[in-house]
Amino acid sequence: MNRFEWTDAATVHEAISQLNGRAVVKAGGVDLLDRLKEGLEAPQRLVNIRNIRGLDRIEEGKDGLRIGPLVTLARLSEDKLVLERYTALAQAAGRAATPQIRNMATAGGNLLQRPRCWYFRQEEFHCRRKGGERCFALDGENQYHAIFDNQLCAIVHPSALAVPLMAFGARVVLTGSKGAREVELERFFVTPEQDIMRENIIAPDELITEIKVPRLQPATRSFYIKQGEKESFDWPVADVCAVLQTKGNVCLKASIVLGAAAPVPWRASKAEASLAGKVINEQSAREAARLSMEGATPLAQNRYKLAVFEAIVRRAILRQASS
Amino acid sequence: MQTRFIGKPMPRKEGREKVTGRARYIDDITMPGMLFGATVRSPVPRGRIKEIRFDPQIPWDEFTIVTAQDVPGSNYVALIVNDQPYLADRLVNHAEEPVLLLAHTDKYLLEEARRAVRLEIEPLPPVFTLDESDEKKEIIWGEDNVFKSFLVEKGNVDDVWAGADFIVEGEYRTGAQEQLYIETNGVIAVANPEEGVTVWGSMQCPYYVHKALIKLFNLPEDKIRVVQTETGGGFGGKEEYPSMIAGHAALLAWKSGKPVKIIYDRAEDMAATTKRHPSRTRHRTAVTRDGRLLGMEIDFVVDGGAYATLSAVVLSRGTIHAAGPYNCPNVRIRSRAVATNVPPHGAFRGFGAPQSIFALERHMNKVARAVGLSPEEFRRRNFIREGETTATSQVIREAVDMQRLVERAFELSDYRDKQERFARENESARVKRGVGFASFMHGAGFTGSGEKYLQSIVGAEATPEGRVRILAANTEIGQGTNTIFAQIAAEALGLDFEQIEVAQPDTANVPNSGPTVASRTTMIVGKLVESAALSLRQTLQNSKLLADSYSPEDFSRACRDYLAKYGQLKSFSQYKQPAEIDWDDEKYRGDAYGAFAWAVYVAEVSVDTLTFEARVEDFVAVQEVGRVINPTMAAGQIEGGVAQGIGYTLFENVVWRGGRMINNQMTNYIIPTTADIPPIRVHFEEMPYEHGPGGAKGIGELPMDGAAPAILNAIENATGLELNQIPLMPEQLMEAFRGEHA
Repeated sequence: MNRFEWTDAATVHEAISQLNGRAVVKAGGVDLLDRLKEGLEAPQRLVNIRNIRGLDRIEEGKDGLRIGPLVTLARLSEDKLVLERYTALAQAAGRAATPQIRNMATAGGNLLQRPRCWYFRQEEFHCRRKGGERCFALDGENQYHAIFDNQLCAIVHPSALAVPLMAFGARVVLTGSKGAREVELERFFVTPEQDIMRENIIAPDELITEIKVPRLQPATRSFYIKQGEKESFDWPVADVCAVLQTKGNVCLKASIVLGAAAPVPWRASKAEASLAGKVINEQSAREAARLSMEGATPLAQNRYKLAVFEAIVRRAILRQASS
Repeated sequence: MQTRFIGKPMPRKEGREKVTGRARYIDDITMPGMLFGATVRSPVPRGRIKEIRFDPQIPWDEFTIVTAQDVPGSNYVALIVNDQPYLADRLVNHAEEPVLLLAHTDKYLLEEARRAVRLEIEPLPPVFTLDESDEKKEIIWGEDNVFKSFLVEKGNVDDVWAGADFIVEGEYRTGAQEQLYIETNGVIAVANPEEGVTVWGSMQCPYYVHKALIKLFNLPEDKIRVVQTETGGGFGGKEEYPSMIAGHAALLAWKSGKPVKIIYDRAEDMAATTKRHPSRTRHRTAVTRDGRLLGMEIDFVVDGGAYATLSAVVLSRGTIHAAGPYNCPNVRIRSRAVATNVPPHGAFRGFGAPQSIFALERHMNKVARAVGLSPEEFRRRNFIREGETTATSQVIREAVDMQRLVERAFELSDYRDKQERFARENESARVKRGVGFASFMHGAGFTGSGEKYLQSIVGAEATPEGRVRILAANTEIGQGTNTIFAQIAAEALGLDFEQIEVAQPDTANVPNSGPTVASRTTMIVGKLVESAALSLRQTLQNSKLLADSYSPEDFSRACRDYLAKYGQLKSFSQYKQPAEIDWDDEKYRGDAYGAFAWAVYVAEVSVDTLTFEARVEDFVAVQEVGRVINPTMAAGQIEGGVAQGIGYTLFENVVWRGGRMINNQMTNYIIPTTADIPPIRVHFEEMPYEHGPGGAKGIGELPMDGAAPAILNAIENATGLELNQIPLMPEQLMEAFRGEHA
C-alpha cells in the first residue's frame, strides 16, 4: 500500500471538485482497501464521501424506489419496504459478504467493485484488463470465471446487487463536473468488447448519486439465490434473480438475470421468453433453466457452473410459484 | 479423586488481556530507530541465480541490503538436516525462496524497492508432484529425491497373500493445507556484536529459533535470546518457520545496527511459509472370509517440498499411525518423504497422521465391503485390545475399548436409525443424505525416543508477592498452555488459581522445556510443571518455613520468608522416561508413544445431486483422552480441530501453478465459516493415564485426524460414490456422479 492524502467531502459538489489527478472515491472502503493492499491501485488522494448528507436514503415515490448510494447492504437487507416489495434485492444484500462487511459496504460501492479474478487481483499478472496482452484465466485457473462472453477476458461481474437491480430494470444517476446523467443499469455495465479495462461507464470525476428502481407491476414477485463455496464471507460462484409477473399461476412476464456468469450481469433472454404465457411448474421452470444456459461457452474448469445455474434458475422460478 | 482445578472450566489466564485488546502482539511493538524488513523471493521454482539487478529509480544507498554473502555464521536453518539456506546463494530450489533482504525506515518505499529488485535466474527443470519425484526422472535433492524413508515390519506379510480369502487394494490422496493462523508470521530483532542477538516474535518454539540463530551467527548460546510475544495461533505453522524470519530480521539488524521488524502480509505468509504435506497412500490388505485382518502392506509417501525441514518426523508420525487401532499380525509399512520444487511443507496439527489415517479409514470401509460386512462390524472384529500390539509391535497396556467408543458415538449420533432412514429416503430425494464414521488413535508426545533426547526441563519460581511462577518454554498460542499449567500447579500445591503465574517464554529466563508441538504440552510438560511445583514446596518444607498442612496464605508467607532469607527460590524438574517405554530407533519397533488418545468420529452429510454441494450436517466426536483438565478448552480444541478437518476435506484447495500457490488470498483459499460448520457434539470418555498430570493425555492434534475419512465415508453412504481424494470439491463430485451415471 502507498501513502495517500485523505479528504472528507461534505457535499457531492465538493467530492467531485476533489476528484482530479490520482484521486479515488471512498465510500465503505471495502473493495478499495483490498485493491490498495493488493497493489492494484496507488491513488494520491482518497475522497471520503461517507459523510455526505442525503445519499443514504431509501424512499418510495410514485415512480418507484430510490436508493441512495451510501445505503449499506445491511440496511438494504433489513428495510421493510425493500423486503416486502423488492424481495430479491433484500435477499441479495443479505447474502453478500459478512455481517461486519454489510455494515460498512454501500450499494454504490457494491455496483462499482472491481472483478475478483485471481489474475486481475495479483499485481504480478499484467492481464488485458490491466493493459496487458493476455487473459491468464483462459488457459489458467478458471473455475470461478465466466461461461458467457468469455473470449477476450473471462472475469465475472462481482456485484450481487446488480443482479436483482438489473432484473428490476433499475437505472443509476451519475453526477460529475459536467452535470448529472441517468442511465439504465443494463447500459451502465460494459462488456470486454466495449472496453476491456473497465466494467462500467462511470467517469473518474463521477459519483453514483442515486439508484432508481421502477415501480413494479401488480402481482410481481422476485427471488434471488446465491450459490457460493461457503455460507458467508464469499462471492457467488453463481447467482440468479428471477422477477415474475403472474396472473394466477400463469407467468405474464419474466425477468431473469444471472450473476457470476459473464463479465456483466447476464440477462437470460431465452429463458425469459420461454416463460411468458406459460403455467409456472416444474416442466416450464426446467425448460427455462435449460435455455438460460444455451450458448454458454464454459472454460476448462468451470463446466460445473452450467449444472449449478440450471439448478438455481429452476429453483428461483419455482420458489415464486410456491410463495 | 476430589479436585479443585483439574477437570474444572477455569477461565483463560490471558483471556481478559486478549478480549480487551491489551495483549501486545508483535506488530503492536515498536522500537526507537526501527527499520522495516522485506524479503526478495525467487519467482522461479528451480534455477541458477545469474544476476541481481537493482532499478536505478530507487535510492539504494538508504537501504540495508543483505545477501548470502553477509551471513556471519552458517547459511542454513539448523533443524534436522542442514540443507535449507537462509538466503539462496547460487541455486534456488523453490518459488518464493528468499534471495535477498532489504530494510528501510519507510515501509512504503521499502515495498517499492522490493519490487525494483530483478532476479535473473536461469531455469532448471523442476519437479512439482510427489509422483514425479518418486519416479526420479529428475533428481533435485540428494541422490534419490528422498529426504527420509522408514520401514516398519511386524510378522511376515509376504506369507499371508496365498492364504487370504480376500485381497483388497486402494490408493488414497490428500492435498496441501494452509494453517491460516489469524496472526501472520512476524518478528523484531536487535543484533550487534556487543550484545548479541535478541529476537521477539510470534512463535511456538523459542528454543528452535535459539538453536538456529546460534549457527547463523556463530555466537555462543548466551549471546542469543529469543522471546515469544503474544501469538495469534500456530497449528504447527509457527513450529519451524519462525527460525527463518527471525534469522532474516536478525541479519538485517546485524548489518544495519538498528532494530528490524519483519511482518508478513497474508499473501506472503500463505505463498512462502509451510503447509501440510500432500500425500499418497497405497494399501494392500489380506483378510479372511470372516473379516479378520491377516496382513496389511502400506506404501505411504509425503511431498516434503524443496528442503528437508521437519519432513522426516512428519513422515515418522504418519507411518506409525498408518495401520491405526487394529490388531493385525502381519504388517509392512514402507514410507518416504520426497523432494519437490515447491516451498517446504512443514508441521501442521496432526503431523502426518491425518494423511495416513484418511487413507486407512477409507480403506477399511473398502475392505469391509469386499468381505460383505458393515464398516462397524468389520472394525469390531479387528479393534486392538489391551495386551495386543500395534504395527510397531507396541503392546497396548491401557484398557482400551474402541467398541465402547463406537457404541457411544452411534448412540449420540443416532447412527443406525439415520442410516436406515436415509437409505429409504434417498431413493427419491435430490439431496442424498448419509452417515459415516472413522475410528482412530493419536499418539501424544514426541515419537519413540524423542522425549528421552529432548530432556525437557521446567522450573517453578517463588515471586516476591508470594506467588509461584512457572518457567517453561512452552508457548501459549491460543490453545490454553497458561491456563492448563496454572490449573496443574494450583492443584498440586493446593493454592488458589490466581497464585500461579506463567512466565513469558524467554530463553534468557526459562529453561528448555521442549517445543510446543506433538500434543505434548499438557501431558509431558504439564507433568514436569507438577513435579517442579512440588519440589518447590518440598524446599519450603525442608527449610521449615512451611508446615505439612498449610493454607494458600501460609504458602505465600513461606515464599516471601524464603526470599527474604535466601534471595531466590527456583526448583526444576527434568523429564524421565517411564521405565516401561522401550523403543528401537533402528528397527522402528517398540513403544512409539507413551500414550494414545482413542476416538470415534461420526459425520452426517447431505449431497445435492444438482449443485453437487456436500455439506456436513451433524458431527459427533467421541474420544478417550485420559483425564480432561479443562472441559471448556478441551471441547474447544476438539471443535476447532474438527472444523479444520472439515475445511481440509471439503473446502481448502491449495491451487498450484508452476510450483507456486496461486490462490494465496483469503478470498480464493476458501476455509469454512461458522455458518458452514455443523453442530459438533463432543464427548469425552475419561480414563486417567498414570504418567499424565492429573491423568491427562495429549489432545491437540487428535481432532484433526477423524473428520476427513468420516465425511468421505458418509458421502459414500449417501451416494454410493467411492471417493478417495481430498480436498473433495463440488466439481469432482459432479464428475464422479456423471461418470457413475454415464
